[in-house]
Amino acid sequence: MEHPILFISIILEKLGLPVPHGPVGHTFLEQLCAPYMTYTWLVMAFLFLVSRLTLGNLEMIPGKGQNFWELVIGGMDDFFTDNMGREMADKFFPMIATFALYIAVANLIGLIPGFMSPTSSLNTTLALTLIVWFSHHLIGFREHGLHYYKHFMGPVWWLVPLLLPIEIISNLARLLSLSIRLFGNIMAKETLLAILFMLAGGFFAPLPIMILGVLVSVVQAMVFVLLTVVYFSQAREHAH
Amino acid sequence: MSDVKKEFVQLLANYGHIGFTFVAAIVIGMGGGIYLDQKVFDGRTSPWFTFIGLAFGIAAGYKALFEVIWRDRKAEEKKAREKKDHEG
Repeated sequence: MEHPILFISIILEKLGLPVPHGPVGHTFLEQLCAPYMTYTWLVMAFLFLVSRLTLGNLEMIPGKGQNFWELVIGGMDDFFTDNMGREMADKFFPMIATFALYIAVANLIGLIPGFMSPTSSLNTTLALTLIVWFSHHLIGFREHGLHYYKHFMGPVWWLVPLLLPIEIISNLARLLSLSIRLFGNIMAKETLLAILFMLAGGFFAPLPIMILGVLVSVVQAMVFVLLTVVYFSQAREHAH
Repeated sequence: MSDVKKEFVQLLANYGHIGFTFVAAIVIGMGGGIYLDQKVFDGRTSPWFTFIGLAFGIAAGYKALFEVIWRDRKAEEKKAREKKDHEG
């Protein structure tokens, strides 16, 4: 289920580029022109240009643009520091804040007719999740070395046969739940909006869902970031 | 955002993912069990590994649930300690 009208796809088709009609294309060029890819680039360009245009040079007395960014960045910094401490927050701020901004904008962009949320494709969310999953193990290994395996062993040795599978399953469940939650929520929102538009768009039927959509978008971005922060700080903690 | 709204969103983020994580753990546990039964042992051990995997999956789901509670308790204790330090 796609949006009825996606303006980037239409422009690309007018330019003669192949736009896939299924979820993913067959050739490389078709895959590049898939809607979730083009809208990912749109979000990237949006974030880059907006921060470029509003920030300019930093001043002691902030103007409108700088004020906004100071609020956003300051709020996120406080949030990270609360949850994982000053040192780690400084180290991983660029990565997690980029995730937060990207996911929030990507979720919200789908509310505008003619746009589509890149996060309503499992490919995008799985890519984000894989980055988080691998980097939290990497943090664990860098912090504890080979003793990182103790995280999966439980508190006492005779519980190992019981706890090792449980720990491994719950670690793999992170991969599944983190990606499918974001994908499922946003896809549901998009599909619901599209159907309501088709059924009763003239009577403003999608409006209540749009209000809910704003809430869902913000909350899902927040969930993703909060869980990322929690996983990172857990990987650095000492085992039981 | 006002403080109440912020807290609301934070609470939603904190607890909203429990249901999904629970299901994901059970799916992975049971899926692994079925894979062992059908692919690795060619159905000779069926249905034992499926049940064992299901049990481990459910246990992992509960573990994820308790982790959220423990994390909460730790955060509350930390907050209480800080408050005490502040007053004392």
